Amino acid sequence: MEVKKFTGGISIPHYKSFTEHKEIKEASLPGELIIPLLQHTGAPNEPLVKVGDKVKAGQKIGETDKFVSAPIHASLSGTVTAIEPRSYLTGQMVNSIVIAVDEKQDELELSDVDVETVTKEEVVNAIKEAGIVGMGGAAFPTAVKLSPPPDKEIDALIINGCECEPFLTCDHRLMLEKPEELLRGIELIMKMLSVDKAYLCIEDNKDDAIEAVRQKNTNPQIVLLRMPTKYPQGSEKHLVKAALDREIPSGGLPFDVGAIIQNVGTCVAIYEAVRYKKPLIERVVTVTGQNLNDPQNLMVKIGTPIGHLIEECGGIVKEPAKVVIGGPMTGKAQQNLGVPVVKGTTGVIVLPPDMAIEDMEYYDCVRCCKCVEHCPMLLYPNQLSIFCEAKMIEEADEWNALDCIECGICAYVCPSKRPIVQLIQRTKPLIREMQSKK
Amino acid sequence: MVNEARNFIVSSSPHIKDEGTISKAMRDVFIALIPVTLVAIYFFRLYAVFFIAVCLVTAILTELLFRNLMNRKARPGDWSALLTGLFVALLFPASTPWWQGVLATFLAVGVAKELVGGLGWNRFNPALFGRVALILLAPLFAFVYSWFEPLNVYFGPIDVMTQATPLAMMKMGLEMPPLGQLFLAFPGGAMSEVSPLAILIGAAYLLYKKHLSWRIPLSILATVVVLTLISGGNPLYHLVTGGLLLGSFFMATDWVTSPFTEKGKIIFGVAIGILIVIFRIGFSITEGVAYSILIMNFFVPYIERKTSRSHFGKIKAVPVPMANQK
Repeated sequence: MEVKKFTGGISIPHYKSFTEHKEIKEASLPGELIIPLLQHTGAPNEPLVKVGDKVKAGQKIGETDKFVSAPIHASLSGTVTAIEPRSYLTGQMVNSIVIAVDEKQDELELSDVDVETVTKEEVVNAIKEAGIVGMGGAAFPTAVKLSPPPDKEIDALIINGCECEPFLTCDHRLMLEKPEELLRGIELIMKMLSVDKAYLCIEDNKDDAIEAVRQKNTNPQIVLLRMPTKYPQGSEKHLVKAALDREIPSGGLPFDVGAIIQNVGTCVAIYEAVRYKKPLIERVVTVTGQNLNDPQNLMVKIGTPIGHLIEECGGIVKEPAKVVIGGPMTGKAQQNLGVPVVKGTTGVIVLPPDMAIEDMEYYDCVRCCKCVEHCPMLLYPNQLSIFCEAKMIEEADEWNALDCIECGICAYVCPSKRPIVQLIQRTKPLIREMQSKK
Repeated sequence: MVNEARNFIVSSSPHIKDEGTISKAMRDVFIALIPVTLVAIYFFRLYAVFFIAVCLVTAILTELLFRNLMNRKARPGDWSALLTGLFVALLFPASTPWWQGVLATFLAVGVAKELVGGLGWNRFNPALFGRVALILLAPLFAFVYSWFEPLNVYFGPIDVMTQATPLAMMKMGLEMPPLGQLFLAFPGGAMSEVSPLAILIGAAYLLYKKHLSWRIPLSILATVVVLTLISGGNPLYHLVTGGLLLGSFFMATDWVTSPFTEKGKIIFGVAIGILIVIFRIGFSITEGVAYSILIMNFFVPYIERKTSRSHFGKIKAVPVPMANQK
């Protein structure tokens, strides 16, 4: 099938060779788990346990009755030692349940449900109970995403296997090693949404994964799309554009154009939640970077501090280093290795001193237009950066600052090294405030 | 070590950056000007070397002076003042009295660039501003010219220096030199007008390095060709004479003073082309290219406002096809 191209975007170095050929390995058990009560988009959970309680692996330990939320589970058995604010990947403190992990772990209790006969309601419930959220990074509760408003007709399911961020290979390895689970997961979502077409989109720098899935796929309703490798191919808006040639309107969501997008990791998690009633207590994390002794794709229990993973991978080679959670284009630099892996953590990247750029001195815009040329939202980042820097909020709004998806390309290409994304990020709340006053 | 807070470097995303910098881009423009400069030195010898050197030194000193006066920090490795100096020099004939070079460079770097906020904020192309200011000030020089005369330097006779420029020959209706020679090199006029070939080599390098937008030069040149054809002239002569090629590839494409919209670049180029033909044919003004670009520099913000593209998602959502229609 023909794949459309989106305008803008850029090809950037992949840096994926560190881990793309390494099999997913089970990470060793950490001594302590830190499980944030809020690790998704939506309402925070209330703890169901108290300090001193014994918890079992897979036991639900946090829940809320709010609709947009996802419960949390103990990833390992142990004892609750604290329920207190701990540092989270955004740099803020988030109320978390801290568990001292038992040295002896029991096997996780799993059921075996027949996925052929399961009903829609059972699928939704399983997803909800398992606490599944979007595992590509955005961490939006999946049960909510899969229940679009009744007035929106959905005719296409898009599965995002692009993994367009450099360094990350967790989705790549998952597609390669668990194609069967992925395909069954996709079928479950199709059944649930009653759509008869699913498009599995994989960038053409992962041909081995495309081949692995193709060999296992017997369902003609699941269409494999080989996407050109171009950042940000995995962005929701650009994926819908490329796969279906539909443009999500400004401020809209994929279901406005009849599409729902799921990440490949989420599909596998959904399959496991329905088949085995397995809660989302672990995920694949790419622990990588030039500054790490032994980069790996690790199967990690949710709540494991990133410092544990860095040690597992042989430790940091050289300091000063920069430790980033997520991809290098949109991820967050960390100050503290006690920050835990959460459901939306795709990678931990340790950058070497020469790439560990501090906030650089930057210069005036010389209007070279490199950002204009590559902006996938077809904005004018050059103008936006000037308006946002000067706090000209009305002008920034006029030039559509709110439509910026913060992909980072403008700041990546800028020869004046202007922190364009950061300037726009800072201005967005001010624009919303201004709009709400009107 | 798990909870140990160490000093890691924290900054906002993206955490990888392209290697391109302003100084690398400036350096590339310098490299692109090497052929033109070498041709000038080949024909005008010490006159060219001396005049270029004077302009470069003036550019550096002017920048230093204004940065100090205005308390602005310099970019490390910023070549932009030097580049302006070189451009100013190349816009003059090599035999120009050196103090005119000093004045033009001072106006270019000091007034057109630093005074309005420095690189990035200037509305007019600095080098052209300096050059045109001197043309407009020329009547005043009639008085001061004699004072400065003793200061003129003399490096011996060079025949080609007093030769009429092809553009002037065209105006006077003289017989033109063969096109091939004009294209290769024909000394006369400004140093940058000597060899269209040298300019094209430089432009090709800039295109290869992706510093040039083809939209502007192409639309200028196409407009000039079409309009001269309509007016019954020979477009090829117009292409290889005067500052047309330098203006199209190096001056009108200046990042700071040209529109950042794609449609705007074409409108900008076509308008410059029209103005050049009006100046050259309608008014017989040989500096038409410089005037045309400066005039259009002024309109850049208006062009940009009228030609900005619609961003992603601005369209209304298309009706969703029914599930069974696929």
